[in-house]
Amino acid sequence: MLRKVFVGLLALVVLGTAALAANEPVTIDFWHAMSSGHQPNLQALVDAFTAEYPYITVTLTYQGSYSSLQGKINAAVAAGNLPTLAQVYENWVTPIQSILYPIGPYMTMMEVNDIIDGLIPSNTYNGVLTTVPFNKSIMVLYYNTDLIPNPPTTWAEFYDIAKMLTVDLDNDGTIDRYGTALRPAANPEQLLVFLDQAGGSILNADWTEVTINNAEGMAAIQYCGSLIPYTYVTSEYISDHMGQVAMFIDTSAGYNYNKKGAENLQAPYTPYQLGVAMLPAGPVTQGSMIQGTNLAVFNVPNQTQAQKDAAVLLARFLLRAENTVFWAMKSGYQPVTKSAYELQAWKDFVAANPYQQAMSAQMLLGFSQILHPNYGDMRTILSTKFDEIMRSAVSPLDGLNQMAEEIEPLLTE
Amino acid sequence: MRSATSYAVRQRAYRALLYILMLLGCAIMLLPFFWMLTTSLKTEMGTMRVPPQWIPPQLHWENYATAWNMAPFGWYFFNSFFVSITSTIGEVITTILAAYAFAKLRFFGKNIIFTILLGTLMIPGEMLLIPNYVTLTRLGWLDSYEALIIPWVVSVFGIFLLRQFFRSIPDELWDAARIDGCSRGRYLWRVIVPLSKPAILTVALFKFLGSWNAFQWVLLMTNSESMRTIPVGLMVFSSDIGTAYHLLMAASVMAIIPILVLFFFTQKQFIQGIARTGIK
Repeated sequence: MLRKVFVGLLALVVLGTAALAANEPVTIDFWHAMSSGHQPNLQALVDAFTAEYPYITVTLTYQGSYSSLQGKINAAVAAGNLPTLAQVYENWVTPIQSILYPIGPYMTMMEVNDIIDGLIPSNTYNGVLTTVPFNKSIMVLYYNTDLIPNPPTTWAEFYDIAKMLTVDLDNDGTIDRYGTALRPAANPEQLLVFLDQAGGSILNADWTEVTINNAEGMAAIQYCGSLIPYTYVTSEYISDHMGQVAMFIDTSAGYNYNKKGAENLQAPYTPYQLGVAMLPAGPVTQGSMIQGTNLAVFNVPNQTQAQKDAAVLLARFLLRAENTVFWAMKSGYQPVTKSAYELQAWKDFVAANPYQQAMSAQMLLGFSQILHPNYGDMRTILSTKFDEIMRSAVSPLDGLNQMAEEIEPLLTE
Repeated sequence: MRSATSYAVRQRAYRALLYILMLLGCAIMLLPFFWMLTTSLKTEMGTMRVPPQWIPPQLHWENYATAWNMAPFGWYFFNSFFVSITSTIGEVITTILAAYAFAKLRFFGKNIIFTILLGTLMIPGEMLLIPNYVTLTRLGWLDSYEALIIPWVVSVFGIFLLRQFFRSIPDELWDAARIDGCSRGRYLWRVIVPLSKPAILTVALFKFLGSWNAFQWVLLMTNSESMRTIPVGLMVFSSDIGTAYHLLMAASVMAIIPILVLFFFTQKQFIQGIARTGIK
């Protein structure tokens, strides 16, 4: 009996000490790249978090564009003064995964399982959920509703409509409106969408072999090649060329810019209502690529255990259905958990904003980039070659084989 | 008589052509400024119109207030002025001293040291960003004025430019000054510096402009809003999916006003300095 009392008292002391320790004031730094439009909403979420955990102070630090943030993280890695947590793209942290503090082990199974399936692989390092998704968008189909009453649902329909709507309106020998548009140099993820829909991938499952030029890859690139005569190829945002394009694949995050671009066209173009649909399905899937950043907590000497614990709490807080929905409604990004899509607030939001229906449905079919440490270099190869293919500088099959040849050495580097 | 008239006509035609070409060049130079100014007065939708709308139907002066209130621009302006002025003063002082030594003094290894200094100009600044970041981290200077000012109070380019100018000043002046009992320091500040005003002003202007426009360094070395400068502050109007051009241009107009004022007051010296030192 005495022993039980002693053990009980000891447990109380330990728990009490832990509770006291947990309530020690702690400040964490959160580096992000959310510009002025998003900052008040991010601040609102952080305020809600600190109201719930009053002993935690979160210092939000805007580090400029994504490339500025990446540069800053790289410098901070070298100098050993990383923040507690930061927004990161997958390929930024794959080379430094050893200094990531895994968030997954501190989450409940329910929380982990709630994350959209397509987002799990791109946040999992060596079998452990290490980072968590934050601001995510998905590629969808935007179209001119005046020209396209029923958006295409298959590759064949997409091709037919693109061909039909590519026209030289004034017969001067120059195409005035293209059926579709691609940004191969700026957005090679468009190629990855076609590749996924054809059942292909850049590498095999264990990253030992380049598979981009297998039969599925060839199907994808030949389809892209067939679209060349009907495709406006540019590196600029399509929102600046809405009059010249009838439909195009672009990120859901660009909706507001694309909408404004369509509604503010001037002569010789006619303003139109922008439609949003799911991507046309390929021969194998109707998948689409999820883009955007994740949250990483850094396991480095300048961050104490209390700071890392607090950062994990913040990451989990941001994943809560009501918070990811708040962020999505305010920012234009998509919710990142399954339960968020079941939340009444989100359903009401989708009902009030019908374009969101396609985005939400597409998000649940999304896939993410591979976590290969050399993905950044692979992406550069993809963008260069895809651009050459779409500008007819090289034939689609030759371009695809060149991609494979150039990616091959990156497997062993 | 007739040939004189035809010569005068030819001269006038030549002059007219020259003026037309100069006006054309002027228009090309001013076009971006004009676009910046008109875009700063458009609505967000107006900035996206294709073809572009050169003169907005309504002038939205409120863009300036909106842009100003979207970030602590008061702080950014203060920091830009403070950092630009202090680093300019610092650089002018160090540059005059170093340039004088390289131009007029004799010491062991002078040419080798000068060649090594010039060699550092070949190293792209971007390559040094991370090593410099690590150094400043270890010095504990991150997110401070020290980080924004001290590494920039020496400029090899400025030393080179002033050295070239100082070399053109005849040594006989020094001989005469020495006979009158003038010290090296006094000679430098009372004779060389006043004679080199255009070149020194050019160095100061280059420095002020570079410091005012500095972006990458400030972004990397600072974290808090209270340490950031205008170019970094302008980023709040851009995101990964687009840019609020009307607000960005309104803030940009505000940001270039001090530079324009500075240029208007110093353009004569600026051009003289460039011309005399042969730097293009």
